[in-house]
Order: sequence, then C-alpha cells, then structure tokens
Amino acid sequence: MIAAKASYFARTALGGMWRDPFVHVIAIASLAIALVGFGLARIAGAQIDALVSALGGEVELTVYLKDGTPAEEVKKLEAALAQRTGGVARTVSPAEALGRLSEQLGPQGQALTELGANPLPWSVEVTLPPQLRDLASLQALAQTLRALTFVEAVDYGADALERLAALSKGLKLASVVAFAIVFLTTIVVVSATLQLAIYSRREEIEIQKLVGATNRFVRAPFLLEGMVQGLLSAVLATLALWALVTWAAPRAAGMLGFLALPKGSQLMSTRLMVELLLLGLAMGLSGSVVAVRRFLRV
Amino acid sequence: MIQMFHVTKAFGNDPPTLMDINLDIQKGEFVFLTGPSGAGKTTLLKLVFLAERATRGQVLVSGRNVARLRESGIPYLRRNIGVVFQDFKLLPNRSVAENVGFALDVIGTPRELVRQKALKILKRVGLEHKANVLPPKLSGGEQQRVVIARALVNDPAILLADEPTGNLDPALTVEIMDLLCDVNARGTTVVVATHDASLIERYHKRTLRLERGTLVSEERGAKAALLMVQG
Ligand SMILES: Nc1ncnc2c1ncn2[C@@H]1O[C@H](COP(=O)(O)OP(=O)(O)O)[C@@H](O)[C@H]1O
Ligand SMILES: [Mg+2]
Repeated sequence: MIAAKASYFARTALGGMWRDPFVHVIAIASLAIALVGFGLARIAGAQIDALVSALGGEVELTVYLKDGTPAEEVKKLEAALAQRTGGVARTVSPAEALGRLSEQLGPQGQALTELGANPLPWSVEVTLPPQLRDLASLQALAQTLRALTFVEAVDYGADALERLAALSKGLKLASVVAFAIVFLTTIVVVSATLQLAIYSRREEIEIQKLVGATNRFVRAPFLLEGMVQGLLSAVLATLALWALVTWAAPRAAGMLGFLALPKGSQLMSTRLMVELLLLGLAMGLSGSVVAVRRFLRV
Repeated sequence: MIQMFHVTKAFGNDPPTLMDINLDIQKGEFVFLTGPSGAGKTTLLKLVFLAERATRGQVLVSGRNVARLRESGIPYLRRNIGVVFQDFKLLPNRSVAENVGFALDVIGTPRELVRQKALKILKRVGLEHKANVLPPKLSGGEQQRVVIARALVNDPAILLADEPTGNLDPALTVEIMDLLCDVNARGTTVVVATHDASLIERYHKRTLRLERGTLVSEERGAKAALLMVQG
C-alpha cells in the first residue's frame, strides 16, 4: 500500500510537471541561479581562506632586539620562544642580516658592506606551528613580546593578514545576507508555481477528496513536486558551476599568477555538491510547504 | 443505515434549506428522495457524506454520528459511501478507467489492481470497451454509467445517486435504474434523489418527499407519483 501510494505520488507529481512544464522550468531556473550564486560565494570563500592560511604559513614572526642586548639574553629569548610557541626559533646576528640584505639588493647592496658600523640589530625569527598562524594568536604573541625590556619591535606582516581576514569575513557576511534574500525569493517563486499547479488541478483535488482521499494524500504530490524542482535545480546548478569554474579558473590564474589557484575540478568539492543538493531540496520543499499551507484548502 | 434526527441545515443567514428532518433508512433498502427542484434533495445527500455539515440535529451513518466526526475522519466515512454526483465530476483529461480507478488510488491500491478492478466494474456497467476513452467522447448515458462505476468500484455499503437519470431519454433511464436495482439486490443500500414522477411510479419503492426543506410524505409507487404530480 505504501509502495502503491509512493508510485501514485510520483506519477501524479511528474505527470503534473510534464503537463505544465513552463512554470516548472521557470522555478527550476530561478532555483538553479540561486544555487549557482551560493556555490560561487562558497568557492570564493574557500579560496580566500586557503590564501589566508597559506600566507600565515609563510609569515615568520621576527623580534628585533635593542642595541646592546647581551648575547645570553638573546639566547634565552630564542629558547623561550621555541618552547612557548612549539615552533622553530632562530637567532639572526647583525652580520647575517646585513649579508641577506645586501644579497637582496644585488649590486647596489655592495655599498652596505662598505659601511663602517653595522646598523642592523640582533633579531630572533620564529616559524610558528599551524595552530598559532591565525591573526588573533599572532597579535597576542606580539603583544607579550613588545612588553619585554630588550624588544625593540615585532613584525609579522600584520597588514596583509589583517586585510585578508577582513575580506574573508566581509565576504562571508555578504554571502549570508545575499543568500537569505535569494532563499526567500526562491521560496516565493517555487510556491507561486505550485499555486498555479494547485489551481490547475483543483478539479482533481476536489474529486480526490470526495472519493475519500486524506489531506495528506492530496498534499503529497505537491510536496514531491517542490522537492523534484529542488533536485533538478541542484543538478543544473552543479553542472553550471562546474562549467563556470572550468572556464574561469585558468583565466583567473592567468591574471593572478602568484596565487596559484587550484584547477576547476578541484574547486567543485563533493561537499559543495552535497550542500547544493540539500539546499535545493530544502528550498523546493519550503516553497511547496508554503504553497500547500496557503493555497491548498482541503 | 442512515438516520437523521431533527436535522436542520441553513446556509449563512438564509432561511434554512432543510428543517427538522427525521428519517431512517434501513440496511439494504432502496429509497427514492423526491421533491421539486430546490427542495433540498442534494443538500440532504451531502449531509450524509459530509460535503456539508448539519446546522443542528444528528446524522447517523452505520450507527455513527457523523455530525460530530472530526475533519480527519471524513475520508474514511467517504470510502464507505459511493456517490453519483448530479454533475458527474469526471476528469475530462483522464481515461474512463482512470476516472473509475480514482476511488481506489486514494486508498493506496496498487496500480495494476486499480486497472483490473476498474475494468471489472466497467464490464458490469457495460462499458469495458470504452475503458481508454476520454469522458467528453462519451454520450450522457455512458458518462452516467462511468460515474456509477466509480461510485461502486470500492464496493461501498451505501450508494447515493443524485438525479442519476436527469437528462437521459426513457430507454437509457431504464438501463440506469436496472443497474441501480441490481446494485441494491446485491446488498448495497441505495438512495436515489429524483424529481421524475414516472420513475417513482414504475419502480415501486419507498419514496420520501421533500418540499421547501421539510419531509412532507412517505409513500410508494403510484401513490407517491400522484402526490408529486399534484405538487
Ligand atoms: N452552498 C450553498 N450555499 C447557499 N445556499 C445553498 C447552497 N447549497 C444549496 N443551497 C440552497 O439550498 C436550496 C436547496 O438546494 P438543493 O439541495 O440543491 O435542492 P435540490 O437538489 O432539491 O434541487 C436551494 O435554494 C439552494 O439555493
Ligand atoms: Mg439537486
């Protein structure tokens, strides 16, 4: 009996969509557009997150020490930093720092070696373990270090990191807001198409009721229609996104060569596809629940 | 099988359509419900399968007071009552067999069984050769028989027929009436609403007469028909 009903619902829902394809195509298209928007926001967000953590990994925290800091204090700080952060700490002497600098500057750097006194301070460089690479931990650590007597300055590329983190946060917020609007609009579109479906099947509904159909029985095909709309739009959105990233990723990588974006296929994760599917289902079902509640007077 | 006690039905603030109706229809009976157009026949039938609810009084179907039945109980009541609607209520874009099967679909009967049972009942009303035709392609008499088939396909205990011979010529009327008598002979309680005096005269059955919402007489055959003609 359950199987018979399920098969009846499926036939009724698909039959309804088949007989009246235009409105359903519109609903599926608008759902798919919403889902593509969601997918793009997710992909962009993931890329920025990846960028933030990649930059964080490159950034070393450098502690510059005051002139005249005793050598044993430098050693102590090196050891303390290594122990406290669990990372790798290394002392850089003024001579080593000068050598690096002149190397970086190339031929013009030659002049540096001709200076009488080395103007560069002693410093300690720390490569942080992954769990301390976020902005907040870096800021906290820098704060503690600046309070120390011998510390002149602490540098960890704060600017770039802060900007990226803000960007990522802003993007996430914007995508949540945009998504909420799109979600609501889509529910309205889906429920409107189902309102039409309910209207065009009103005779059938009336007769079903007269020959003993329960309210649930009458409603089920419409809920199923909403879910089918959601599923189809998720499939459509996945294909569209896949085409989009395959097309766009190489071009974006060309423009932003230094970022080394992953390939298009890697941008479309399984997780994202599952999210699209569930989201499509949720939107389709919400739309049909709204329609059935409001327009199906059974 | 069907009992009414002091039943009144009023639509809004209009004067009541039915007033203080008392009746008792036994299991297996065949009863005519008659009266001029607008007397309240259709409304009375609707009270039985809860297309309308009584304003006052009690309606008992198989001993259950349906006036008190919850919304959610209505479908189960209707599955036990076959109704032949005056306006047929056939879906024009579904085949005859699908229309008949509708009453089985809603109770979750498997598709093949629906088809099988629909064909069987169509055979009984002499329409098995029209199973795959759309209703608008049928004559009035054939459509009427499809509606009767749909009402019977569930094997209900009660059959309510509203003007089942309404616009049919005499030969077809006899055909339909014979079919309803046959259904009754197999044990189904049958109530036929009609304003056709000749029908009542020819078939000597218990006849309840409604006039302006009140039951005014209860006769049989020629006597009932005479009352009708006298108005
Ligand atoms: N849904 C309704 N709303 C208002 N009045 C109604 C409704 N249904 C029936 N009536 C009124 O009830 C009276 C009886 O109608 P009906 O039962 O169809 O009579 P009959 O079937 O004997 O011709 C009519 O005057 C009709 O206008
Ligand atoms: Mg009537």
